[in-house]
Amino acid sequence: MQCLPCADTDLNTGIIEVNQVSMSKKTQEELERWSKEVKRGAVTLAILALLSKKRAYGYETVKILDEKMSFLALEQGTVYPLLRRLEKRELLKSEWDYMDPTKPKKYYTITKEGLMALGAMAKDWSRLSREMREILTEVE
Amino acid sequence: MILISNDPFELIEQYLERVRIYLPMDSEDTIIELQTHLIEEAERIGNGTMTTGSALMAIERMGDPKSVANEYTGSGVKVGIVPAEYVVPLSRVAVVLVAIVLSLTVGFYLTGVTLTGLFGADVQNWPLTIPLMIGINLIIAFIIIGVILVFDREKPPTEKTVLESILGVGVQGLRPKERLDTAGDFVMGILWGIILMLPGVVVMYTDSYERIYMGIVVFLFLGAFRGALFYVGGENNLNLTVETILSLLWIAIASVIVATNIGFPLDSLYMYDGSTWRLESFATLFTEDGTQLAPFDGIWAVIIFITVAVAVWRVIVSVMKISVYLRDGKGLWWRGTWGERRRLTKPFWKRSRDSGEGVRKGIIYRDGTSESDERQ
Repeated sequence: MQCLPCADTDLNTGIIEVNQVSMSKKTQEELERWSKEVKRGAVTLAILALLSKKRAYGYETVKILDEKMSFLALEQGTVYPLLRRLEKRELLKSEWDYMDPTKPKKYYTITKEGLMALGAMAKDWSRLSREMREILTEVE
Repeated sequence: MILISNDPFELIEQYLERVRIYLPMDSEDTIIELQTHLIEEAERIGNGTMTTGSALMAIERMGDPKSVANEYTGSGVKVGIVPAEYVVPLSRVAVVLVAIVLSLTVGFYLTGVTLTGLFGADVQNWPLTIPLMIGINLIIAFIIIGVILVFDREKPPTEKTVLESILGVGVQGLRPKERLDTAGDFVMGILWGIILMLPGVVVMYTDSYERIYMGIVVFLFLGAFRGALFYVGGENNLNLTVETILSLLWIAIASVIVATNIGFPLDSLYMYDGSTWRLESFATLFTEDGTQLAPFDGIWAVIIFITVAVAVWRVIVSVMKISVYLRDGKGLWWRGTWGERRRLTKPFWKRSRDSGEGVRKGIIYRDGTSESDERQ
């Protein structure tokens, strides 16, 4: 079973005092389901944000996200198809680099459309985080 | 234990061939991205050097080829009775089978061979028997695949499964033309077109062939033009359309040849009698007591049959590819792909520099273990 973050650590609210050991199977399942849903939305934002700073190729993107976003725990199987879908939706564009013929690299860059989408998403994400913090504090 | 490979590049190439089986056509970009990922991951594992062991580990981490391909194409559902992951390879194999059947049928039909004559059986309800036979064969194939899947269950990601060997048939059959072949089409089309027009060659023709040989010459030049198009643009909708039209044109020409009873094109041959070259007719060269020794018309029928079958195959494959590309939103012209694979071999200067230090020989066995230097 993958080690999941404890609710009290992540939210810093102290509402639910659970850890990995004491978590019931039902809670674990709920947490996994919820995490999956949150990740699904967050990963697009993370990739767009990363590529807005610099262009990167697939493997590079996977490694950077792996280092910086432990919660997302992204693997190549998620990142590559998503990069492709974002390219298809014209939020990213790509360019092949054949400098090393044994390792051609497909570099992804954010488009103008992608930057606009990123701006709107980041704004909504900030609002969501703020409101979530508020509501969780209220519960506390 | 069976040796698979001791070259990390070859190991990655073999693995990617297996991923390719489950991917739709025109997935070369995906394959190259995965190739780069695997090499870089293997180099990272091997602290900057790719070894057999590190390549093996990178492959193990990437996982089962079927799952990897399905992360790109979507999985987990069934399309009809077939699990989604097998839809692409099975439909490819089905297209190949149907195309082979149709190619042979049209070829036989044009050259006057009937199914009854061929198999000696009384084929009834023609042409209803063809889809019926295909249907029965597909059901048998499903049963066989089901049994094979049981044997393939425990195989590691580094090992090719029996099923993949079968499903891989379609991959080779539908692969785009190699660039070198397209250059060959261009050069040979022009060369043969010119040869067929040379007065010294024309005098060897039979009267009936002499009437149509210019049509064949024009067709050869058009074939050269098609070769040039594929050389410049790779596989795209315009080139595939040209291929379809030319293949249909050849079927039409072949129909005329067969319908008008134009037999073997040559009726004489140049012979050297020690001092000069002179034309000698087949009638004197290959006939004894009024019996023709060489079965020229039989050879001619086989040639026509093969070329017609190939033309039908090209029409079916091209039409199918065009429809797939149109569904993907592709237009008429783009820089398409060629069949040649980038060989995953190191440049020779890099290889000689690394020899003996970086890439050490190791042996990969059927159960996935290796005798490499990887000790992690």
